[in-house]
Amino acid sequence: MSGVIKRRDFLKVAGVSGAGATLTACNTGEVEKLLPYVVPPEDITPGVATWYTTVCGECAAGCGVWARTREGRAVKLEGNRGHPISQGALCQRGQSSLQGLYNPDRYAGPMLREGGVLQAVTWDEAETLFAQRLEAAGSNVLLITGHTGPTLSGLFDRFLAGLGGRRIEYEALSEAPLREAARIVFGQDVLPHYQFSDAQLIVSFGADFLDTWLSPVEYGRGFARATAVTGAGTKGQFVAVTPRLSLTGLNADEWLPIAPGAESAVALAMASVVAESGGGGAGPYEEILEAYTPEEAARLSGLAPEVIRRLAERFVSEGPSLAIGPGVAGHHRNATAANLAVLVLNAVAGNVGQTLQLDGWAGQRARPYTELQQAMQGSGAGEHVVMVHGSNPAYTLPAASGFREAFQQAAFRVSFASAPDETAELADLILPDLHYLESWGDSNPRPSIYAVQQPVMRPVPMFDGKQTGDIVLSLSARLGRDIGAATFHDYLRSAWDELRMSVPAEQAAGGTGDAWWRGVLKSGVLRTTTDQVSATPALRAPESALSFDPPELDGENGDYTLIVYPSARLYDGRFANRPWLAELPDPVAKIAWHAWVEMHPDDADRIGARNGDVVRVASPHGSLQAPLLRYPGIRPGAVAISMGGGHTAMGRFADGNGVNPMTLLPAAVEQPSGALVYMATKVTVEPTGVWQRMATIEGADDQRGRPIASAVELAALSVVSESASPEADDPGKEEHTAAEHEELQELNLGGGFVPVPTDGGPEAYPLPGSQYGEYAGAHEMPRWAMAIDMEKCTGCSACVVACQAENNVPWVGEEMVAMGRSMAWIRLERYYEIIDATHAGPLDVRLLPMLCQHCGNAPCEPVCPVFASYHTPDGINAQVYNRCVGTRYCANNCPYKVRVFNWYTYTDVPEPMNWQYNPDVTIREDGVMEKCSFCVQRIREVENRAALEGGRPVADGEVVPACQQTCSAEAIVFGNIRDPKSRVAQVVANERTYRVLDEFINTQPAVSYLKKVTFHPVAAGH
Amino acid sequence: MTSRQWLFAALIAGGSAMGLAFVQTQDTDTGATPGAQPAVQTQAVQPIPFRHDIHAGTYGMDCMYCHFSAERSVDAGMPPVATCVGCHRLIPGTENPGAVQEVLDFAERGEVIPWVRIYKISDHAHFPHMRHINAGLTCQQCHGPVETMGAIEQRDPAWRGDNMGWCVSCHVELGASRDCTVCHY
Repeated sequence: MSGVIKRRDFLKVAGVSGAGATLTACNTGEVEKLLPYVVPPEDITPGVATWYTTVCGECAAGCGVWARTREGRAVKLEGNRGHPISQGALCQRGQSSLQGLYNPDRYAGPMLREGGVLQAVTWDEAETLFAQRLEAAGSNVLLITGHTGPTLSGLFDRFLAGLGGRRIEYEALSEAPLREAARIVFGQDVLPHYQFSDAQLIVSFGADFLDTWLSPVEYGRGFARATAVTGAGTKGQFVAVTPRLSLTGLNADEWLPIAPGAESAVALAMASVVAESGGGGAGPYEEILEAYTPEEAARLSGLAPEVIRRLAERFVSEGPSLAIGPGVAGHHRNATAANLAVLVLNAVAGNVGQTLQLDGWAGQRARPYTELQQAMQGSGAGEHVVMVHGSNPAYTLPAASGFREAFQQAAFRVSFASAPDETAELADLILPDLHYLESWGDSNPRPSIYAVQQPVMRPVPMFDGKQTGDIVLSLSARLGRDIGAATFHDYLRSAWDELRMSVPAEQAAGGTGDAWWRGVLKSGVLRTTTDQVSATPALRAPESALSFDPPELDGENGDYTLIVYPSARLYDGRFANRPWLAELPDPVAKIAWHAWVEMHPDDADRIGARNGDVVRVASPHGSLQAPLLRYPGIRPGAVAISMGGGHTAMGRFADGNGVNPMTLLPAAVEQPSGALVYMATKVTVEPTGVWQRMATIEGADDQRGRPIASAVELAALSVVSESASPEADDPGKEEHTAAEHEELQELNLGGGFVPVPTDGGPEAYPLPGSQYGEYAGAHEMPRWAMAIDMEKCTGCSACVVACQAENNVPWVGEEMVAMGRSMAWIRLERYYEIIDATHAGPLDVRLLPMLCQHCGNAPCEPVCPVFASYHTPDGINAQVYNRCVGTRYCANNCPYKVRVFNWYTYTDVPEPMNWQYNPDVTIREDGVMEKCSFCVQRIREVENRAALEGGRPVADGEVVPACQQTCSAEAIVFGNIRDPKSRVAQVVANERTYRVLDEFINTQPAVSYLKKVTFHPVAAGH
Repeated sequence: MTSRQWLFAALIAGGSAMGLAFVQTQDTDTGATPGAQPAVQTQAVQPIPFRHDIHAGTYGMDCMYCHFSAERSVDAGMPPVATCVGCHRLIPGTENPGAVQEVLDFAERGEVIPWVRIYKISDHAHFPHMRHINAGLTCQQCHGPVETMGAIEQRDPAWRGDNMGWCVSCHVELGASRDCTVCHY
């Protein structure tokens, strides 16, 4: 044999020379350096995270944030638990802020357009030129902003007052009709604030308060608490009265699919029934209520009169109740009237001052579009300077608004955008602002709540930005109008000194307030004394006549009413350049990256369109093409398109993705609020004959009889759920399961997989027969487990983005998602059970976050040839990346389809996006399988900390995975299930608990689900 | 196997490996190889001839005076230049005053000292220094007799950044966990 090369020898040699080749291939030729600090920053310990409080600057809700930084880089955002708005949670868009901070397309520095091309200039040159142009313009100065904090707004106004210019706030999703309606009805110019958690019957006429509306994190938590099952066996109900179900609508218990624009009629009819049956007086609205009987509303809405009457009766008898307006998607030509009708309904039902508060939103000014429209008129005359900060009207307004033309006629256009957008593209001078995580600011979401936005890291060095507040101060000095602060930080600090004086204890203390300021920075929030809310105001009559009838629509020839709705991912389009959000499957459509047109299956059949058939949607104002999605949650006769796509100048991830529905809209103005009309036109829809493979993660929208996402009827639950142990209820259960196991064993023996005939819960791990070696003492260790309450989960998908941020989960792009290669570790399943757009009735859509179940008897483990997939003694189904050789057997054998494979190295992202990577988690390359790790790095971090603190045990609730942390609905609980006092053990001890597929394939997952609770009967096994 | 056969096998294997390397480099737009990492040396000429034997040996300084976070962080911590200057502003150095002056110059210029890295474990493994220090291990158990070394070097041939057996043998001996996810996640 000596003359033959043995296989083993050959491999040895190959291994040696292979290693050599790898070294030459994989080394950069550089020697790795260890670079210390010159002078160590006081608050940084290498390897230990430093946290800062700040305020999310993405929308006007003003959620408090904790930013986790490592070695001076922000790596993760979480909700500030002490902040009354976010209460510890954060939405999917807030989670994605880091991709705004590390956006590789951000402007590198100030730029001036010369000969149509942007050229880099220095800050000094830019500001000198800017000051010259401002001087030449005199008072012809206009500043367009988005939402800004109170101190920056104040500085803007002070600066502009000196010049004689003016400031206009324009937010595409502003609720001007609601503010105007509140002003008319209650005489108070505020946006109402809602106490969802106090309501027992919530009726929404379309507002997507769980997606984007006003304050989705706070309202999401309130909603989940209102609709949770109590020990007394009751739970709040949610009725959606809307032509199209948004994500919020999918959470409804009942759906009344009304004709688009018929909200006013239904709300007024309900109010008239309530007023008749002894509700509060309708005051000046009595006459109007008389005109809108349930019969009249039925005629306009397409519902049956008794449905409206019954809902109105329940609105009083099953209260406390709360009615919510039509929201932004319902901004039609009579939107103020519709919001007013809903406020009148709340008033007659006695909800004002209870579930509906008029203390209002201070941070959401809800300014109308007409202010911008009027300001832009005449901006082309003379030496007009137009500045834009935090707003992108060139994209969010329809072409017919003429904004682009008016903006281009201005003599000098300045943009403070930190990253490109369609408006900045038209600007002459770009003075890039810092990202909100790099700059100072503050927020005042509601009258008594203040919070400081402090920089959580130094500005990302490749972008030479400057905080807009600092630019304004520097310009003031150049123009000889010194405001008296060297930096915006100083200006903010003195503004907060004034605020400090409203705190009685500080007023008495006097002094510099430095300790107080540090305290505010640490807690991240300041509560000032609440102004007493005045008594319920009497209803006031409108100054001018309002029409409560369905609105006029353009496009007489169109067959379908076009519904344009805010995107739960991209909002008004501002987040389109963030791959986490672009790749996040839409919570309703389950489609990532590209656009789609929603149409009811009956309508789709009529035009002969399948899912993915590209259709041409045309209105009198324009047309667009996008693939069709047959969506049973939209009323026949309507089609819906999401806002946010179709960018042309926003960056590499946004441009060319999707369509912008604004191309179909006129620049119609709603009266009297002055808001832009989004539900404005009818459209025609024609198939183009082209079919497109959609980038969807949806396998099926139907459970096909399998009990994956189960539910139980409320009436079938025991009254006090704690006392009901499932074993005691069902004496036949043991026998039944034993027989089932026998059958299973027979089925599975041929495959070599032997189910263990035990029916233990998650705490029963490790299974009999595997308790040796490292596992002999496993019963002394924790068994990490999770409980997910489907009754609370709203499907918002914030957990998906939080998981991506925490675990360095890559995005893969549209093409890969379409091939089924999405890498997300959590998949929000959406199954339709009952969804009927033609009749009012119960709605049952199951939303289930599917992640690795960490099975005690995991099918993925025995098939791994290299033991990369195995179980840890503390009960985690682990994936060892460095062992994995990529056979993908585990993924094939996983009944939950939660394992994802790196087909390519997706983690080579453009600088500085890689700065976001969590240093505590391995970055994976191609050929490696991965999946949910139960945030094992967080478990180990807590264990390390506990060991350092004298070897104390890990406390319950100390380990919080990223998904649980960000969940506004508090649907996820994690902990050691072996500890009977742990929250997870207590939550799991519930008759609603089940484990997905466990009874069929005996996987014994560590993840338990609590069944959704319905008001209608549910078939057994579902 | 005869030497000729060895050569043959090595040629084939080397050739195929080079081919693989070629394909890999061609694979990306940038020309850079995915996952390229700078090399870690076992010994090196450092930018400043820092003498561990004098500091830790002769003067018996505690390791954690300079590697300040070893007992409370996963990272041991590299001394900031300010730490060096804290002593050397007063102590000129007995053996090599020129080197001390260079340190002061770095501090003067506000520059970091580009030390060459000698100890590194793979990116897919996590080594929490504080757990090992708090378990009563000495630094020398992993890093060797540092207090006798002039320039720091990896003396133990068994210690390589990727030699898991070296870690595990100690974990077995001392009864520490052998679970994969203690280090790999």
